[in-house]
Amino acid sequence: MKKFIGKRAVASAISLVGLVIMVFFLSRLTGDPADLYLPVDASHQAREQFREINGLNDPLMVQFGRYVADLAVLDFGNSIRQSRPAIDVVLAGFAWTLWLACVTMLLVTFAAIVIGSLAAFRVGGVFDRIATFFSLIGASAPDFWLAIVAIVVFAVNLRWLPTSGTGTIWHWVLPVSVLFVRPFGLILQVVRGSMIGVLSSAYVKTARAKGVRNRPIIFVHGLRNGMLPVITVIGDQAAGILNGAVVVETIFGFPGIGKLMIDSILQRDFNVVLAAIMVSALAIFLMNLLIDLAYALLDPRIRY
Amino acid sequence: MTYRLTCASSLLLGALLGSAAFAQDDKAVTIVLSEELELIDPCMASQSNIGRVLLQNISETLAVFEPSTAKLLPKLAESWEETEAGAWRFKLRSGVNFSDGTAFGAADVVHSLERAISDQISCEIGGKYFGGFEIQAVAVDDTTVDITSDPAQPILPLLMSSLTIVPEETPLEYVQTPVGTGPYEMTERNMGTNIVLEKRDDYWGEAPEVAKATYIFRSDSSVRAAMVEVGEADIAPVISELDATNQDTDFAYPNSETTYMRLDHATAPTDDRRVREALNLAVDREAFIGTLMAQEAVLATAVVPPSTAGYNPDLKPYAFDPDRARELLAEAKADGVPVDDEIRIIGRIGLFPNDAEVLEALMAMFKDVGFNVTLEMLEVGEYNTYYNRPFAEDRGPQMVSAQHDNAKGDPVFSMYFKYGSEGQQSGLVYPELDEMIAKATAATGDERAALWSEVMTSIHEEHIGDVLLFHMVGFSRVSPRLDFKPTIATNSELQLSQIGFK
Repeated sequence: MKKFIGKRAVASAISLVGLVIMVFFLSRLTGDPADLYLPVDASHQAREQFREINGLNDPLMVQFGRYVADLAVLDFGNSIRQSRPAIDVVLAGFAWTLWLACVTMLLVTFAAIVIGSLAAFRVGGVFDRIATFFSLIGASAPDFWLAIVAIVVFAVNLRWLPTSGTGTIWHWVLPVSVLFVRPFGLILQVVRGSMIGVLSSAYVKTARAKGVRNRPIIFVHGLRNGMLPVITVIGDQAAGILNGAVVVETIFGFPGIGKLMIDSILQRDFNVVLAAIMVSALAIFLMNLLIDLAYALLDPRIRY
Repeated sequence: MTYRLTCASSLLLGALLGSAAFAQDDKAVTIVLSEELELIDPCMASQSNIGRVLLQNISETLAVFEPSTAKLLPKLAESWEETEAGAWRFKLRSGVNFSDGTAFGAADVVHSLERAISDQISCEIGGKYFGGFEIQAVAVDDTTVDITSDPAQPILPLLMSSLTIVPEETPLEYVQTPVGTGPYEMTERNMGTNIVLEKRDDYWGEAPEVAKATYIFRSDSSVRAAMVEVGEADIAPVISELDATNQDTDFAYPNSETTYMRLDHATAPTDDRRVREALNLAVDREAFIGTLMAQEAVLATAVVPPSTAGYNPDLKPYAFDPDRARELLAEAKADGVPVDDEIRIIGRIGLFPNDAEVLEALMAMFKDVGFNVTLEMLEVGEYNTYYNRPFAEDRGPQMVSAQHDNAKGDPVFSMYFKYGSEGQQSGLVYPELDEMIAKATAATGDERAALWSEVMTSIHEEHIGDVLLFHMVGFSRVSPRLDFKPTIATNSELQLSQIGFK
């Protein structure tokens, strides 16, 4: 197991180095940050001065060498936009995104597994049809539309919930609900499909013949074997949110890493882009590792 | 019984939590801005949202320009006089303290100016208002400062209305906690969430009515408008026209921006006056008002708003006359002007609401009279390579869609940049116009206004400098509980002391 984790860590580190090199040079191709930070009326002297202060006048290889040397002592450089360490900016945003992803994915996983399993138990029944109908709508609903409609209905018209922000637990209801819809629809379909296969297998028929009740058949005998493909999809969806739920963060004013990353790319805040990519990549590496371990836990045939 | 008890408890809990979430203090206001303040340094207060938090709330200036009267009023300076050409003496107010407790004096003014123009920190105020000439401040005594400029700046007191004053101890790097002499101090800053200002008890001036202001950030206009509607916020200084649907709470105000098409006077065919006139006559400006542009937008005859010194109200926008435009083009063509050459319209994505639609309509109008035009919408970085000098030698005929902001009341902040032969964004090359601009720049008082008026008339009538379009408006939503009406200044600042309660 330790050997497996070590191998995965080395492979991920190599990928990360490649990613950092690529992003460092590609991001510089987007243009000069002075064009965006200084007013359009700014003189050539002011632009030159801005570049000098931010080390943008040096040749690219010199800039890269300096970046790598700083990175070796865990100095990710400063954000041009915020004039403070880029890693502080990124970690502050990432904490919000991590919370949002955890809460959403816990709710999604629980709801999708329970409803998907029950739907698979009686394929074609009323419950199955209703669950399938709503899951397909959820899987195809655009986030930005859902978010605006949710604000208009629940905050403006009914006045049940705040429009946006992060102050109280009520502020989390709309963003989490909007984020919930799409992965819920997708995972429910995967659970349903997987469980239909499992529940029609020989060992489940044997269990039924032996008089085992429905609930243990679904949630004990069936679910464990049906979970392998579901875990893969859960991991994929969680990675999507960890990379930033840009639309939800933008509309609901959640200061997460997705909006930060988009703003930083648009504003050419290179150090923040690089720090955000490294933090996201590390989080996704850890999550993939957990998924691999979960495979081994669910299926005794898988051993590392 | 149990059911009723549960319902009653739920309602009570809901009411408590709900009130905790949405309550507003009596004398507190919440202002929802369109983007988070990345920097909160006073020397960056010329940026709209930073200015809305800092200007005259935390950071004060020696003088204040009042757009409604076009007058310069004393603030931290009690008076000023020109001692000789280019040299001004400012008498400072005594008994003023910064929010950190230190006393305000001449050394603070000297340091604030040196910091703004220092090459160790990229201050926007320095680059925007104090670039292109030498300026130096010397403390005569605790309450007297001499400021000299070379070449002489007759509007130096007006320039000082842009210089935010910081304590002498402020380092030559961006500060995260601004300190100023204003009626408020920053008591909280939660990155990504909010900024809180609270009223100072030891403020030197009249105590404002607003005790506390919380600034929050939402990038979506409809969310900002909804927040004011449901009472979560009191002012949304900028909302889109589409969201300004409530006559009781939504205000349109001139936002000091002017849109225009910059013409290239050095490249054929727009180097020919008849072609430039034809371009102007081809545009049905009235057709845009109330359709693609706001109903309150005003047709422009200069690149500065009507509240600017020297603005000539007698100038008339070019009338829509496509027949005359066709005649002018035919005359130019007969004289060998290559009027059939393709002219590229260069637009910037997101420059103003409906910008792509406006440019497409303009393109159709130009084509209708016989021009061969194409439209390219560019991202800001690429757009700037067309907008700013040095222009490419092989650029070919082009018109650049542009927008200019001047809320400072004097054309000097516009004319050299926009119309000087070496102006950063100028498409004009006329030595005689350069002389007129230089003469107006050096003049003072009524003569100055008259000379600027001549400059603007010359650009509009004689040279036909651009295709001027509209003085723009912005939209704000204000809670009915407040006594506050947005003005042209709302584009760059939001003085809490001007907000009252009904």
